[in-house]
Amino acid sequence: MKYSYIKPRKKSAITADIKLTLTFFSISILMLFLTYAFLLYKSYSFHKDVISINTKKTMLSSSIEEMKSRILFIEKEDVIASRVKTQNAVLKDSITNLFDLVPERITLSTAQILKNSLVLKGITPNKDVYNFMLQAPLRSIFNRTYSSFYPAGNGWLYFVSTNYTDEEFSMKQEEDDNEN
Amino acid sequence: MKIKISRQYIYLSVIALFLFVFVLLFSFLVLIPEGKEYRKNRLELKSQFKEIRKYQNFHNELADRLQDLQKKHRNIILAFDATFNPERFHKQNKAYFATLYISPLKPIEGEDEFVVYEVNTTSQINSPKSFYDFLDAINKSDWIVGINFPINFTHDGEFIKSSFTMKVYCNDKNSTKKIVKEEK
Repeated sequence: MKYSYIKPRKKSAITADIKLTLTFFSISILMLFLTYAFLLYKSYSFHKDVISINTKKTMLSSSIEEMKSRILFIEKEDVIASRVKTQNAVLKDSITNLFDLVPERITLSTAQILKNSLVLKGITPNKDVYNFMLQAPLRSIFNRTYSSFYPAGNGWLYFVSTNYTDEEFSMKQEEDDNEN
Repeated sequence: MKIKISRQYIYLSVIALFLFVFVLLFSFLVLIPEGKEYRKNRLELKSQFKEIRKYQNFHNELADRLQDLQKKHRNIILAFDATFNPERFHKQNKAYFATLYISPLKPIEGEDEFVVYEVNTTSQINSPKSFYDFLDAINKSDWIVGINFPINFTHDGEFIKSSFTMKVYCNDKNSTKKIVKEEK
């Protein structure tokens, strides 16, 4: 005996409503996980970037240090080169001045130029020529001048002139000049 | 009065409650701290980028300055790097002397990163002018050479015999390595 005109349906605990709710919940949970995954990925990417920046920074700072020392070194080289060139130029002027000092009537046989002294050996027709034409200018340049003579045989005189510059004396004179 | 609640409602309520609790816990325990960390990292990265840009700019400025210096002092740098070659020196300067003898290099006390070698020379010149020309030429030579005291000039027949000491300046590393190689 039938009590209904339709066939009985199987009843399930997961109804269409629950399915819809579950889909909605699943999407929500998926979105949460995706957000978390995005954050994790970003955090990993930041970490990687920081490492690469630090590596670059280390490389740059070592390169900067290297360049700084290279610049310093080139500047030092320039200072030394300029000093040497100036010394050579000053030396040339000193030697030019020395040979210009010697009058034609006096012949030099030896000239020894040292840091603070000058030794000249040569031949002069007489003492007066030597005293007026060579010793006088030498006296104006050097602090101490010593001369000795001995006969050359032909009436002329061999002479040895030793001249010294006292560094202390020159420095004192420079200081006095500066004060005046 | 009896309240009748269907089984579906109970399921729904349980799932909703579970989701609510899960979302709350996940958000407060995981997402929010991670989000804060993300914000902190982003700011830190921004400041790091700013700093690295400063470094890069400074690096570029220094590189430009170094390049300028290297261009400007090219000859000086090459001169300091060059090892003194007596034969070459002789070849370059023989025009100023009738005879020129150069003694072997003798290292003396250096200056900072530089090695200074002493070279004794004996030569014959026709006139003091040759020596002046030599002094002018030495400042344009391939090495940094300073003429040093004592300088002796002696009248020797038609010539003037001269002897003087030269100081040759070289870079410490290069010159020592090269000289050690030459000695070997």
